[in-house]
Amino acid sequence: METEYDQVLHSVAHVKIADQTGDSADVKQDEDGVKVSCFTEVLDDVTLHFQIIRLAKQIYVWIGYNSAKFGNLYAAASTRPSNTVSVATVLGGTSDNTGSGIAHRLVMKTGLNIIMACNIPKNNPLLEAKAEKMLIRKLIDLGYTMPTPLRAT
Amino acid sequence: MESVDSNFPVRHRKFSLEIKGNKTEIVICSYEDHILVIATQIGAMGTILHARKEEGMSVEPTFSVSVIFGKRDEPMQIATARRLIDHISSFVPSKPLVLSLGLKDHSSETLKEIVAAVIENRLW
Repeated sequence: METEYDQVLHSVAHVKIADQTGDSADVKQDEDGVKVSCFTEVLDDVTLHFQIIRLAKQIYVWIGYNSAKFGNLYAAASTRPSNTVSVATVLGGTSDNTGSGIAHRLVMKTGLNIIMACNIPKNNPLLEAKAEKMLIRKLIDLGYTMPTPLRAT
Repeated sequence: MESVDSNFPVRHRKFSLEIKGNKTEIVICSYEDHILVIATQIGAMGTILHARKEEGMSVEPTFSVSVIFGKRDEPMQIATARRLIDHISSFVPSKPLVLSLGLKDHSSETLKEIVAAVIENRLW
């Protein structure tokens, strides 16, 4: 029996990242300068704020749940030699590590080096999945994703 | 470059300056319970430090500054975070600082210029 959570997870896995080989030249030219993007999405009775700061070799992301609190800070990147993804909790975070799963999957989907701050409360996997999906969509729209991302599960 | 639209709960300020020939991008963000300062010359966040004012009973304030990610053997970076949290806490005592320094050169002149630029463009 598939729960709504499973359905959202499946749909996240199916968010395909199109080949961006045509755009790689544009991305190179656009390297200098830091870009800050902010947007807000409202889901049912929850407001999610997103802030994306694009540095040349790294992306910083903040997800705010109903407030402007900083939350816990995670660092995630793919590690050599096998391209697996490692996540470290840099600030805050208890053993449930609510945001670390999002950071992990962000790197898998986008191939980027990510620093993420997030204050989504624990025990809310559906909300995490929705936030993650919105964020990945936005990263793709902004053209920040790598041409050949690591494949997600 | 100035802050963002008034509906977004987090204010930010972004600007760029040249220090000793290195282009330095600085972003300052003011969250509800933290201040984030990113100063980068290398296109990445580099070393991340956390600094906060300790709640205490004594007259002299004390601060706790630590490196939470990255190089831990650069005392000047810790001094920079200490200088900034000192300044922040005189305006907003309860907001800790998350400082990210992705620098090509860690000399004190560079860090002093970064501190001066951040204070001049502060959001607190």
